[in-house]
Amino acid sequence: MSNLSITGSQSTPAISGDWNAGILTMTGDSYPENSFDLFNQVIDWVEHFLADGKRPLSLELHLLYLNTSSVRAIMDVFDLLDDAHAEGHPVSVNWHYDRRNERVAELAEEFKEDCSFPFAIVAHD
Amino acid sequence: MKRDIEDLGRRIEQLLAQPEYRDHPLREALDEVWRALLDQTTRLDRVTHISDGYQSLSKERENDLDERFQKQLRKLEKLARISDHYQRMMQDLNVALSDASNRDVLTGLANRRHLMHRLKEESERASRSGLPYTIAMLDIDHFKRINDTLGHAAGDRALIEVGRILQSSLREYDLCGRWGGEEFMLIMPGTTLVSAHALAQRVCKSIREQAGEPQAGQSISASVGISAYRHGEHYSDAVERADAALLEAKRRGRDCIMLSEA
Repeated sequence: MSNLSITGSQSTPAISGDWNAGILTMTGDSYPENSFDLFNQVIDWVEHFLADGKRPLSLELHLLYLNTSSVRAIMDVFDLLDDAHAEGHPVSVNWHYDRRNERVAELAEEFKEDCSFPFAIVAHD
Repeated sequence: MKRDIEDLGRRIEQLLAQPEYRDHPLREALDEVWRALLDQTTRLDRVTHISDGYQSLSKERENDLDERFQKQLRKLEKLARISDHYQRMMQDLNVALSDASNRDVLTGLANRRHLMHRLKEESERASRSGLPYTIAMLDIDHFKRINDTLGHAAGDRALIEVGRILQSSLREYDLCGRWGGEEFMLIMPGTTLVSAHALAQRVCKSIREQAGEPQAGQSISASVGISAYRHGEHYSDAVERADAALLEAKRRGRDCIMLSEA
């Protein structure tokens, strides 16, 4: 498997998966026309990574607005991480937000519920 | 039941083993009946065992399905909760944007866009109800001189102060805003030229008394032109008449109020 690189647009987040470093980054808003197509690539990449030994995987999220199907896709990714974590796979999520936009932190908090793996909500100035 | 059969079995085995019954005509029949019973019992046990197996398998599946169903349900609830939260965030953002797009950044008053929207609404309302509304255009006298001699910060302070005076002299249904530059507009629904004139006089007095910076040797006055909306006309016609009256006030030496003919 190789790196994942999807250019962002006004309605889709910029996504990059660094296979060697084990880091998946998503930045921006997400209300794509076809979120199934977009996030299938992400879920595929995560599944492949998790199937390839037990190297640590870290998600660095700088997400702002998500429409419903994007919320669902992110929850699916977290489910994958949860299962992997249960099998002793070192996975983690860092959800970054701008301190001026406290609501993003509230939303990240809601995503975090029921997640058993390390999940940090990180404020930035 | 099982113990009964075991007791019966022991008794039958004993009877069958006794030598004096060896040639008894019922012995062979008893032997056969006994074997058939044992056979049936074994079979019954096996059927019960298999049936139990199926039952526990289906129970397991039911539990598994139930667990999966509950999990999906929780996931769906979470999805709806988060999605609703995002939607509220968007709505609040819309309100903030709409507010920002209708407000003058410097004075916090309505901007020209907002004023024009209100003029349109008031014109429609006046046409329906027959109640008049009046427009006052107010312009700060010699504003350029304030900017040139005291700097733009002083000019900004003057604009903010005039805005504050206008805002505080309004009634509930009136709207004031910044039309552009140093020009302000008041929209007064259900008001005649006479009462609009009285209100403008109070405003101009307050501006003379409060808006200047005496320590900088600066006093401020304003000129006003007032017009009343005429039924059926486009609001821009009423605005033009107020503007023309304002020009007339300027021509007459400023610091005065002119009414456009009703």
